[in-house]
Amino acid sequence: MKKDGKIWIAGIENELHGETLSSVSLRESLGKRESIKVLPEVWVVKIGGQSIMDRGAEAVLPILEELVEAKKEGVNFILCTGGGTRARHVYSLGLDLDLPTGMLARLGASIPVQNARMLQLLMAKHGGIMAYDEEFEKLPFFINSGCIPITTGMPPNEFWEKSSAEGIIPANRTDAGVYLLGEFLGAKGVLYIKDEDGLYTDDPKKDPDAEFIAETTATELIENGQDDLIVERVVIEYMQRAENIKEIQIVNGTKRGNIKAAFNGGHVGTIIRA
Amino acid sequence: MSELLTGDGRTHVNSGLMRESLVSKKLIAETDKKEVRRMVPDVNMVSIGGQSIMDRGRDAILPIVDEIAKLKESHKMVVGVGGGARARHTLSIGLGLGLPIGGLARIVGGVEENNRDILQFLLAPHGGITFVKDHFQDLQLFLNNGMIPICIGQPPYHFWEPPSIEGGRLPDNGPDVGLFLMAEVIGVESVIYVKDVDGIYTDNPKKNPEAKFLAEVSAKELLEGDYPDLPVERELLRTLENARTIKSIRVINGLEAGNLQAALEGKPVGTLVYSSRYEK
Repeated sequence: MKKDGKIWIAGIENELHGETLSSVSLRESLGKRESIKVLPEVWVVKIGGQSIMDRGAEAVLPILEELVEAKKEGVNFILCTGGGTRARHVYSLGLDLDLPTGMLARLGASIPVQNARMLQLLMAKHGGIMAYDEEFEKLPFFINSGCIPITTGMPPNEFWEKSSAEGIIPANRTDAGVYLLGEFLGAKGVLYIKDEDGLYTDDPKKDPDAEFIAETTATELIENGQDDLIVERVVIEYMQRAENIKEIQIVNGTKRGNIKAAFNGGHVGTIIRA
Repeated sequence: MSELLTGDGRTHVNSGLMRESLVSKKLIAETDKKEVRRMVPDVNMVSIGGQSIMDRGRDAILPIVDEIAKLKESHKMVVGVGGGARARHTLSIGLGLGLPIGGLARIVGGVEENNRDILQFLLAPHGGITFVKDHFQDLQLFLNNGMIPICIGQPPYHFWEPPSIEGGRLPDNGPDVGLFLMAEVIGVESVIYVKDVDGIYTDNPKKNPEAKFLAEVSAKELLEGDYPDLPVERELLRTLENARTIKSIRVINGLEAGNLQAALEGKPVGTLVYSSRYEK
């Protein structure tokens, strides 16, 4: 049956029926609903690529020990990986060839998967398993069976990564993927494990005068125009309009005890609030 | 050959981005490029509207299918499609259930697959084949064999759909954006959105008889001016403004025969939306 020239059956009508979905008033009218939390008791944790993985056994193994301890104490988390130096290398190669942003995002996606697989091998005896994005609907099964799901931090954007206003390197990399995963899950928290105590006024590896910032807001970080940050810029943009994850913490995983302290609600690194 | 550097506890590959956080504005600015390389520049992306074309059934679909079949001889095309009424129904039920934005983004593409499969079936005698994400890099295999790859539009952000810029609970990224992004990496010759209106108006012409037709307009103007309703996604306009290989898109009325051909030939039909980053 047709109505107004279109296929019509009873029940197909709803508040969006016949609308373009680009109507300002329609979108505003949908703004007040709350959404459910998918896995509210689970943390989403990122292990830095350049900051942790590329330091090798010396940095990685003690962090994994601490994470296993936390798991035994009842903390549930999904472990995500960054890319690091090899991702930077392939981005450099891609830039040298004038490849588009979507292609760089595709290239950059391979490296955190390597890192995730390394962690899975190291964590297997403690229940570490690979969780690919196609299997994310099985996360409750993985967690309820006492496993530690390990996955890439990269969002699945790949060829669909948008070009940025400035610069060709993909804006959504592993910090963004980890944040968006936490936001989608309505997770207990999102924790970034790096090799610095947190955020500084500049990159402390290059500027010895850089000052530590224990606590700040996304708005402040956007407004003060600081050149360098410890998390991808899109993360603080997303935080400003997010529904669930209004706060993230960046901790120094190379100092024993920080990770467990953060799981227990401790302020041991930099906290960025929306 | 790349040189391995150690000494600060990390093993670096000596590349231009060595030791960089990749967040520094200065560094990002240094990597900027006005243009980038194109993968298959002689292709056209033709987007068939879900609500505007597919939901109309045979009266709208069959003439477009015939036109695509005819034009295939002279133009390489990738055909994409949106979801339409069933996508809206999915979103409406999902919203009522309180699904988060990433959950909506994960499920909504399912009904586009219906439309893709329908178009593939209809275009099969002319070389229509399904074109899915995992075969993106096989594009040339299909094109060089005279096929018409047919894909869904919804980008595969799934659970990673970002919180909406526009407010509200709907994903910003829909089929218009997804097809544009594929087109951007392919580096296509043209991106054509086939809808059931003559192009873009100052408001929705189906609801507001005062709405004025725009033959040419910049994406920036549509984003910043007073345009309460548009036949394309607003995120498409933001995406176009930042694009490096595509400088404009065209929105045409697919209910009028000959419009698709005119658009493929670069003739001024429908509305041309251009990126304000470039000279027209």
